Amino acid sequence: MRLGMVIDLDKCIGCRTCAVACKSHNAQPPGTWWNRVFTPGSTFHQAAVGKDGRLQMNFLPVSCQMCDNAPCEKVCPVGATYTDERGVILVDYERCIGCRYCIAACPYGVRQFNWEDPKKAKQRAGYKTGYEYGHPEDFRDKDGRLSYTPNRPVGVVEKCTFCIQYTSKGEAPACIRSCPSRARIFGDLDDPESEAGRIIRERQVFRLKEELGTQPKVYYLAPVKPAR
Amino acid sequence: MVSNSTQTITSKDIQTTSFLRANPGRKLNMVLAFAAVLLLVSLVTWGYQLKSGLIVTNMRNSFSWGLYIATFAFFVGIAAGGLIVSSSVYLFNIEKLKPFTRIASLSAFACTLGAGAMILPDMGRVDRVYNIILHPNFKSPLVWDVIVITSYMIVTYLSVYVQLLPDWKKEGRGFLNGWTKTRTLEEIEGISKKWSKRVSIIGLPIAILIHTVTALIFATQASRGWWNTAVLPPDFISVAVASGTALVLLIALLFVGKDRFAEYQEAFKTMALIVAGALVVHFFFAAMDLLIHWWWGKPEAHEVLSLVFGRYGLVYATEIFLPAFTMIYFFSQKSKSSFNMLILGCSLLFIGVFAHRMMLMFPSFNAIPLSLSLPGIGIENWAYPIAMGEFQEGLPVFVSTWAYSPTLVESTIALLPFGLVIFVIALALKTYNFLPEKN
Ligand code: SF4
Ligand code: SF4
Repeated sequence: MRLGMVIDLDKCIGCRTCAVACKSHNAQPPGTWWNRVFTPGSTFHQAAVGKDGRLQMNFLPVSCQMCDNAPCEKVCPVGATYTDERGVILVDYERCIGCRYCIAACPYGVRQFNWEDPKKAKQRAGYKTGYEYGHPEDFRDKDGRLSYTPNRPVGVVEKCTFCIQYTSKGEAPACIRSCPSRARIFGDLDDPESEAGRIIRERQVFRLKEELGTQPKVYYLAPVKPAR
Repeated sequence: MVSNSTQTITSKDIQTTSFLRANPGRKLNMVLAFAAVLLLVSLVTWGYQLKSGLIVTNMRNSFSWGLYIATFAFFVGIAAGGLIVSSSVYLFNIEKLKPFTRIASLSAFACTLGAGAMILPDMGRVDRVYNIILHPNFKSPLVWDVIVITSYMIVTYLSVYVQLLPDWKKEGRGFLNGWTKTRTLEEIEGISKKWSKRVSIIGLPIAILIHTVTALIFATQASRGWWNTAVLPPDFISVAVASGTALVLLIALLFVGKDRFAEYQEAFKTMALIVAGALVVHFFFAAMDLLIHWWWGKPEAHEVLSLVFGRYGLVYATEIFLPAFTMIYFFSQKSKSSFNMLILGCSLLFIGVFAHRMMLMFPSFNAIPLSLSLPGIGIENWAYPIAMGEFQEGLPVFVSTWAYSPTLVESTIALLPFGLVIFVIALALKTYNFLPEKN
C-alpha cells in the first residue's frame, strides 16, 4: 500500500480551507503551517499574474510530498523520520533530537520546527488560556512511536502526516474532507481500482521538482484553464 | 639526548621576555581566566536558551541552520592542523616542524572538543542526544560525522598523551599512566617515539575524513544547489590544511615569543608555506565551483550567485580578500621573517575562513529550493513561501527570504567553543611542557 494524493489545480480555487482545516485538526501552533496554498508568481495570494494584459491566476497547494526517496528520512541521524508500512513519512516526536538536518534536506519547505514550546507560542500569540484545538488524542503507531500529539514537545520537527490519527482508522485526511471544490483525491496509489491510482496512470500528472528524484507521492493535475 | 633537554625548561627560560614564556604562569593564568569567563557566560546563556527554546536565536524554518553550524564547521576546519603538522614530520620528514608536534596535537584535540561542544546548543533536544548511539541511521552523514570526529578526538588525545609520557615519567606525574611505573625511562621514551609516529599515521586519514564527512553533510543535499557539488569535500580539506596549520603557527608563535623567534624561524616559514600552498588549492576549487554554477545558467544557480555577489557581497569579499592577502604575503620572503606579520596573516585568515563558513549558510537558505518558473508569463524562479514558525504581530508568517543575523544570545552561546579551546590549550600549556628543546 502506498498512500498518495492527487491535486487537481483546475479545481483548486485557492480558498485555503484545506490549510486552515489542516492547521486546526493537527493543532499547529501559531506561525506553523503544514499545508500552504499560494498563487505562483504573485507576492499576494489571489492576485493575477501575467504580462501584456494576458493574466492568469492559478493556485498551488503544497504540503509534505511524501517522497518515496525521501531525503529527510535519509539524513535523520536517529531514524526519527521514518516511512510507515503505508508509505507515509512520519516523525517520532519522542525520538527527534532537533538537529534540523531534515529541514535543510527537504526541497519543499514543508518541515516545521518547534522553536518554542507550542503552549507558550499560543499564549504569546494571545490565544485564550485553556483554548485547545485539534485532535485531542495521541496517536502511536504499531511500534508505539508517537507520531501525533496535540502539543508537540519543544525542539522537535513536525510536518504533514496525511492525518495519521484519521487515516489509520480508514478515514480521509482533513484537507481532503474540507476541500469545497473536491480538488484533492486521496488513496492507495498501488491499488488500480482507487481513483488516485487511476488518475496517475491515465492522466497527464506532474510532480514538484521531479528533477531532484525525490519521487513524491503527491501528484498534480496541471491547470488547463486559459489565460485571460 | 632527549633526557637532558627536557629538564632544562625551568628557570632559565622563564627569564626570557617572550609573550607567554616571560612569566608563563601569570600570562597563562590571565588567558585561563579569560577563557573561563567566556565559558561561563556562554554556558549561562545556553541555560537560558534551554529554558526558552531556539526561538531566542534568529534561525527560523526558512533559515534553519546558522551561526552554530558555521562555527562548528570552523572548528572542524582548524582542528586539522595537528595531524597535518605531525604527519608532515613523520611521513615527509620535515624535521624542522618536529618541535611543534606537541602543540599541533594539542590544538587539534582542543578544536575537536570545541567543534563537538558547538553542536550541542544547536540541537533542539540535546537531552536526547543518546539516540544517536541507540538508533543510529547509517545513511545519515551526520552519524558518520559523529563517528569520525569522536575517533579524531581520541587519536589527537592519544597523540598528546604519548608525546608527554616521558616527561610525566621523569616528573613523576601525569594521568592514566600508572602502567609506566614499572618501566624504565628509556623504555618509555622508546614507546613514546614509536607510538607518536604510529598515532600520527593512523590519524592522518581520520583528519582527512573529518573534513570530508563534514563537507558531505552539506554536499549530499541536492535541495541546496550551493552545497550540492563534489568540489565541496576537497575544498573543505584545502581550507582545513590552511587554517589548521595557521592555528598551530599562531599558537607556536605566541608560545615561543618574539625573542626566540629566530631559533624556530625555519619551522615558521615552513608552516606559512603550507598555509599559502593550501590556499592556492582552495582558491582554485572555489573558482571552479563558481564557474560551473554560472556557466550552465540555471535560474537557480544564477539566483545563488546573485546572493553571493550581491546581498552577501561584503561577507564574500571578506572570505576572498583576507585569505588572498595572507596567501600572497605568506609566499613572500619578507613576511615570513616577521613575527608580527605572521600573526597578522594568521588572524586575517581566520576571519576569512569564518566568513567562508557563514557563507555556507547565507546563500543556501536564502535560495528557497521550491522555486517555480512559469513559462509564458515571464516568471522565473518564484520562491514558494515558507511558514517561518513564529507568529508576531505585524510580521508576515510566510517568507521567501530571511535576513538572518545571529541574535545576541546566539552569538554569546557561540563563544562556547572559543572559551573551551582557549581554556584547554592554556591549561595544557601551563601544566605540561609542550615545547621540548631541540635535540
Ligand atoms: S516533502 Fe519534504 S518532508 Fe515530505 S517526504 Fe519529501 S523531503 Fe520529506
Ligand atoms: S530534526 Fe529530528 S526528524 Fe529532523 S533530522 Fe533531526 S532528528 Fe531527524
